[in-house]
This record gives sequence, structure tokens and C-alpha cells, in this order.
Amino acid sequence: MEEVYVEEFVSPGCVGCPAVREMLEELSVEFEGKLIIEEVDITVDATRAAQYGIMSIPAVAINGVLKFMGVPHKEELKKAILEEMDR
Amino acid sequence: MESKKEQRIGVFICHCGKNIAGGINIDALMESSRQMQRGVYVVENKFFCSEDGQVAFQKAIQDHELNRVVVVACAPSLHLMTFQRCGEKAGIEPQFVDLIDIRKWTMHGSPQKVDPDQAVENSKKLIDMGVKRMRLKRLIPMIEIKAEQSVLVVGGGVAGLEAGLDLADKGYRVHVVERLPTIGGKMALLYKVFPTNDCAPCILAPKTAYANIHPNINLLSNSEVKSAEGYIGNFKINVVQNPRYVDTERCTGCGECIEKCPRLVIDSEYSAGLGKRKAIYIPYDQAIPKKAVIDAENCLYFRKGACRLCEEVCPAEAIDFEQQTRTMHLKAGAIIVATGFDEYDPTEKSEYGYGRYGNVITQFQLARLLDIDGPTKGELLRPTDGREPKNVVMIQCVGSRDKSTNNYCSNICCMYALKHAQLIKEMVVPEAEIYICYIDMRTTGKGFEEYYSRTRELGIHFIRGRPSEIIEETETKNLILKVEDPDIGRLLEIDADLVVLSCATIPSSGTGQLSQILRIERDENGFFKEMHPKLRPVETNVRGIYICGAAQGPKDIPDSIIQARAAASFADGELRKAKIKLPEFMVKARKLNEGGS
Repeated sequence: MEEVYVEEFVSPGCVGCPAVREMLEELSVEFEGKLIIEEVDITVDATRAAQYGIMSIPAVAINGVLKFMGVPHKEELKKAILEEMDR
Repeated sequence: MESKKEQRIGVFICHCGKNIAGGINIDALMESSRQMQRGVYVVENKFFCSEDGQVAFQKAIQDHELNRVVVVACAPSLHLMTFQRCGEKAGIEPQFVDLIDIRKWTMHGSPQKVDPDQAVENSKKLIDMGVKRMRLKRLIPMIEIKAEQSVLVVGGGVAGLEAGLDLADKGYRVHVVERLPTIGGKMALLYKVFPTNDCAPCILAPKTAYANIHPNINLLSNSEVKSAEGYIGNFKINVVQNPRYVDTERCTGCGECIEKCPRLVIDSEYSAGLGKRKAIYIPYDQAIPKKAVIDAENCLYFRKGACRLCEEVCPAEAIDFEQQTRTMHLKAGAIIVATGFDEYDPTEKSEYGYGRYGNVITQFQLARLLDIDGPTKGELLRPTDGREPKNVVMIQCVGSRDKSTNNYCSNICCMYALKHAQLIKEMVVPEAEIYICYIDMRTTGKGFEEYYSRTRELGIHFIRGRPSEIIEETETKNLILKVEDPDIGRLLEIDADLVVLSCATIPSSGTGQLSQILRIERDENGFFKEMHPKLRPVETNVRGIYICGAAQGPKDIPDSIIQARAAASFADGELRKAKIKLPEFMVKARKLNEGGS
């Protein structure tokens, strides 16, 4: 299994972001440090969000690919991470 | 699989002259970058963006057979494209070139500047993450999408109309969304414009009238953008049209309803609170669309369930009390934001007594008083007693260049104060004594200095100082101002019949909400933020969304027109390709439940 780079796009006032953050923290433990998680605050770094064309947050990109806009189900998020690990 | 191929990553650390090297130890950064990741090639250069630097950049890629690159330099909005193009020439896929900004921590004058040790620490962390991200990043297939040949313009003022007309003439379908019941924006209410003293509605009307009949323009007054999604070439926007309670297809604008309406209310929008209108009204004679609108907050039927006189007298049977909010789903290839400005409310500057003293007004209110179609039909009359003022004092920079309110210069106030002084002196009350209390007169546009000289020649008094306080005489409602005049070195006491405050230009009230809907950034003063203040002044952080006019920052009409045309040109430049190449995920990202903000 390879490492996976997860970019989590959030902002201070975002309602759904804490749920995604929690899921990623849990998955990080589950995958024993194979996840590199970067939290990108779009109010600080809007350029990065723009490169992905993100129009709503929370959003999650995995290995440079935007996978989710909105709050995903944990299983879907896990599946997307596993797909990247096994590539 | 490309991710399994041997990755040879290059880290290119740029000195940016002394901008980066002056605030950070480059050697330390080079060393830590080498240690951080295995097999990373690290190189430095004084200016990677220079001709020599670019040659060195390409040579290093070829010599060391690099296939992924992280440039450590300035903001991606500045030079990412430069390095992607260079990388492409050297055989690297543009997606595998990234630029990370460490200059913000080192450059003299940067608001984010930190001490050298902190700058090294921050940079190390960013380089580490950047390299990891680049190592794991996979190639995204690009797909071509068909660009919608339509544009959404938010704001029907002079900037929005100029941009909209430009694009409509080029053949695009243009939707103009205006929050108020009429297009025309602030310019329609200015009476005259500097430096020519042209009649504002006269030079604006050809644009509003043309927009109204243009076959490619869809004018949506009384409407607001509620939500948006998508990307350049394919934005989907929900626009809500608030009810007018008048069927615009039937209404002829005859005014019978207005005549019979028994409810008279203060007109805060179009007479700046100095005149009255009915609860059913047409904003002004040149309003477009020239259709009546019912102000539900003040209408007797909506308040008390009685009246409906307008309905009885309307010969066209246009009144529709049942009218509901209408939601429209629009598609647009690009969006132009031209939401303009509001005048700062000077009530909080309590030393000037605005709101407490009846004869303290704002310049925007003065413009309405001087307008021959305004509440006093062009006569300059004091709000308290309807008497013509003989001593008029204007105070500049109210809410501008002021640490307690807005730090910035509002750009247009010097000129409109001069304009109003000229109008009063030449056309309305020639015998009036007019004083302008200022910090600096800023008259930098074409023909503006001459305009200033002409105003001085009219005998207007200029006092370089801001009054500390205004006192009102209880009986006469006259005002006494105390102001230090440094030119003669003493404290002056001026008796004034009317005081006019040149208030700051602030972002229009819906700016915050719209920035959230469209995900475009705002600057520290709340105006929409351009991609780069000098080089990319109409682009935003979202590709395909452009800004123009006072929504981007305080500016006068000529600058708004220039910017509007520039925004239109950018939109045209993208959309005329008909097909736009975008990363696949941008188009196919899974949109799940709406848990976000």
C-alpha cells in the first residue's frame, strides 16, 4: 500500500467541514500513517481551491484529484482512498 | 501507470533577488530540502523567472531527467503559468509543475512577513508538503467541454451594462441581474458628471435604453443571485426575481396607480431620504423597465389588508397582489460581477452630527437636491426649513483615510465635491459662499486638475483641515464649525447653513453574500479582490468570473468603463474558443449531499 495525499478544503464558517475532518482523522488512524492530510483553508489559500475549480466546501482531493464536494459518506471516502493506495 | 514510473523531482529555490534571499537563509533551505526527501534534486537561482533563469530551469530538467518540479518562489497567481510553459518546453507535463509561495514571508512590505528563523521553518514545512503532494499527484486527463455562449452580469449599473452590451454586441446571450427595480445604478442618480458636467442620465440613457431593446440581453430587475455552481464554460446559476406585484407585460408605466395611491413614504433609494414617493412607484422617469413596483412594506393592502386602489384604477389590469417570487435557472459560460458601491453612512462619525442635525447631509443627498428631476426639482433647499443656504461647507474624507473607519482613499470624493461646488456657484445659488475642508485634494484623472483650477477661480474657499466638531444652533438649526486653517495658522469658526459630508465609497451591501455564493475573494476593505492588483485587475481567483467597476474598488465612471470592457474582453477570450480544456475532475467531481457552506 502506498501513501496517499489528501487535501481537505475547509473554511472557518463551514458547517460540514468538521464532519469531514473527523472522518479523515479516524481513517488516518485506521490506515496507520499512510495518509498525508493537508487542511487547506480556502479563506487563506483561495488559489489552490481555484486550481481545482472548487465552488463549494467541504471538498476533498486525493493525490491531486478532486473526489468530493459536500460531505461524503465515510465508506465512500474510505473506498476512494483505498483505490488510490492500490493503484 | 505513470505514478509507478521513477519519479525524479526537482526543487527550484528562487532568491527573487533580495526579496526572498534577503529575508531567509537560502543555504539552510537548500540543505533541509535535500535531506527532507530521498532523491530530490535541489537547485537555486537568483531569478528563475528571468531569461537566464528560465534557460537554467529547462536545462536542469533535461540534464537531471526530472519529471516533476516544485518551484519555491512567489505566488502561483504570478508565475505558475511561466514555469508550466517552461516545463512543457523541457518535456514536463504542466500539471507536474507546482509553484509554492514563500516570498510572502520574506519580502519587505509583505503583510505576512515574519522573522528569518520563522520564515525558514514555514518554508521547510511548505516545501516538504509540496514535494510530498507532487510525488503522489497523478496525471489528470484533460477533457474538452463545450462553452456556453452566454454570460451572466451581476449588477445593472454603468459598469455591468457596458460589459453586457459589449458581449451582447459580440453575439453572446447576456443575462443582466439587477437587485433594484430599475437598471442604471448610482450613475442615474448623479445629475451631472465630472469633469465635463454632462447630464448623467443623458449620457447613461443611451446605454440603458439599448440594453432594454438589445435582442441578446435578458434584463432581470428586482432579482438576485441565490446560488451558483459549475466552472468556466458551464456555470449554473439560480436567480430569484422578487415580486413587483405588477405584471410587467401589461404595465404601460402610465402612472395612474401612483396618482391614486394614498400612501406617501420617504424615498430612501432614489431621493436619498430627502423626498417622498408613493407605496406604488416608478423609481424615476428614465427608469428601465419603466414599470410600477409596489413596496410591500409600506403598501396598505399588504400591511392592513385594505385599499387595493391601484388595482381599481389600473387601465391595463397590471396589478397582481398574488405575484410570487420566481426562481430562474440560468446557464452561463462566464460571470461578470459589477455590483458597484454604497455611500458610507456617516452616523457613527458623531462629531459631524449626521442624523441628529437636519442640515447635515451627504454628497449623494446633495446630488439629489441639485438634480432638476430630484425631490426639490433642482432647487437647493435646506432640509429643516426649505430655505436656500448661503453658506455651504463641505467636509472631505468622511469615513475615508481614517483609521477608525476606512483606511483607503475613496478616489472620487474630491472630484464630486468640486463638481457640486461648481454647480451651486454657477447654476443654483451664485451668491453662496462655499467652503471645502480637505486633507489633500486628489485630482489625478485626465482634465481633473483643470477642473480643480476652474473651481478655485469661482471663488470657492479651500481650507486644509478637517473640522473637529459641528455645533447646531437650536433655534435656527444653523451650524457652527471649528476648523484649524494651517495656511493662516489660526482656528476658524464658520457659520454654515448647510454642511455636506463627502462620505467614503464602500462595497455594496450584498458583496459579502455574493462572494460566498461565487467563491470569489474579497480584499481587506471588503471589495472584490482581483487576481493581481497591477497585472490581472479584472480576473478573480475563480477562472471564468471577472470583476469590474466600483465592486473592485472605488473608482470613477471612465475607469469603470475601461474595466468593464476589459472584463468583457476576458470573458470573450475564453468563450470564443467554444471548447475549453479542463481537468476531468472539475467536470466530473461527485457532488454529494449539501453539508457544506
